Amino acid sequence: MKLTRRQLAVALAPAAALAGAAAQPTADDDVELRAARDRAAANGKTLESQAVPMAAEPAFQFKA
Amino acid sequence: MAAFGNDVFFANAAGLNASLLKKEFSAEELARAFAERLAQLGPRYNALALPLQQEALRKARSVDNDIKRGHLRGPLQGVPYAVKDLLSYAGQPTTWGAKPYAAQVFDFNATVIDKLAAAGAVITGKLSMVELAGGGGYRFASASLFGPGLNPWDRSRWSGGSSSGSAAAVAAGLAPFTLGSETSGSIVTPAAFCGVTALRPTYGLVSRHGAMALSWTLDKLGPFAHTAEDCGLILQAIAGKDGNDPGSAGKSFYYTPQYARPLSELRIGFAAADFADRPDALARPVFAAALDTLKACGVQLVEARLPPFPYGAVLSAILGGEQASIFEALIASGQVDQLADAAQIAGLKASLEIPAKDYLRAMRIRRMLQDAIQLMWADLDAVVAPARTGVAPKIDQPLFPPPGKTESTNRESSTQAAPSGFSAIIPAGNLAGLPALVLPCGFAENLPLAIQLAGPPWSENTLLAIGKDYQSRTDWHTRRPPAA
Repeated sequence: MKLTRRQLAVALAPAAALAGAAAQPTADDDVELRAARDRAAANGKTLESQAVPMAAEPAFQFKA
Repeated sequence: MAAFGNDVFFANAAGLNASLLKKEFSAEELARAFAERLAQLGPRYNALALPLQQEALRKARSVDNDIKRGHLRGPLQGVPYAVKDLLSYAGQPTTWGAKPYAAQVFDFNATVIDKLAAAGAVITGKLSMVELAGGGGYRFASASLFGPGLNPWDRSRWSGGSSSGSAAAVAAGLAPFTLGSETSGSIVTPAAFCGVTALRPTYGLVSRHGAMALSWTLDKLGPFAHTAEDCGLILQAIAGKDGNDPGSAGKSFYYTPQYARPLSELRIGFAAADFADRPDALARPVFAAALDTLKACGVQLVEARLPPFPYGAVLSAILGGEQASIFEALIASGQVDQLADAAQIAGLKASLEIPAKDYLRAMRIRRMLQDAIQLMWADLDAVVAPARTGVAPKIDQPLFPPPGKTESTNRESSTQAAPSGFSAIIPAGNLAGLPALVLPCGFAENLPLAIQLAGPPWSENTLLAIGKDYQSRTDWHTRRPPAA
């Protein structure tokens, strides 16, 4: 199905309008963010508990 | 005009192609039937993102002409399919399941779509997904522009994520096969919850050009279908080198069941506790029977376990670090607040603050665990574990508790330092880039359960050979949801 620009704009207008209306942050959002940060911090601690030899290179390679 | 019964809608891809070549119906008739069914029933499961009916009919007519002229393109020619809305299709919306991208349109096709077009397959639509493939960690099934994915076996249950529509569409007979993606669990989980067969290929085997990036070092694309054999045929069509994907391994895949090693030579690792203790009580007999069936296939089952590493924590740090960079503009602009799930929004924001040292440490541990898992393959050809330990949750049930309650995440594994058995096979398999095959293995509470086989990199033909034999001894993959 080939859409003209006008048809596409009409088809997407409701979604685009919704997308423009950003929700206002609430107190619950702050609680969620704190919890997410706590999870990331706990993750970091778990990683620290794993011994890593100095020779262990990260699992990606740069190729010149 | 051919009239199609339910048998056609649940036929495997190879069977549909054979019927086309026997002129039981035309590709156009088949495409019309599947496209209409997807458009009509897709919304019933919140599975449809975008119908592509006109494109399907146009492509199907050209397939009919090819067949008429004797230009045969293999077992997917004329077979309809649909894709997760994380893949670009030129000139049409590609939303990534997320409100901030609802109006996004690319001017090129994902490589896998071009490859399937070259094989003569007929795209009929795009399928729903969890917003941004759920990398931020979502609490509710409703974390999608399309609403919660509803399970064809029971619409009060979740279809799984993030490839929600891809699994539901195959389960409900809306497409003979579909494509989805996995970063950590997004193929395995919905396939298990919806009772369909699916394959997560080795990292780098299938090009991700034109797919939303969530994690450059973890993302994979793979098929959902009715049988292991179909998964092999689809993988053959979509695999291969692609200069447009920096992660491409430059390898091809040929589905060659005729050259599979005798199953009696294969050693399959398993942990008894994974089957007897970890699953929900109602699921245990189902998983026990699945192990018995595997034994009947002739494979040697060997007690084993994953090398002890904090797989969940490693995966979270890598995924978090990479998605933060990929979605930095979305997060920094505040548009991230338009997403549907508060936990996902918070997770994405928090991921911007992951220290570089954590990301790099995780990548170094990843190298260590990859080496340790490589050693495991010296003694084993594959491992088997429950794909998920229970049936699909209810759609309104939180996938992990709210802040302040006992925390875990929906990333398939806790962040514990040394998970037991193969309980962490999803993050472990994804971190090591391993292929995995999901096979339906029974029901509990009238909902599907599945096992997963994982193997060394590039062992897809071995996994598919086991899957094919397994499915020759069981009929779980042929079962249909009651309303379909």
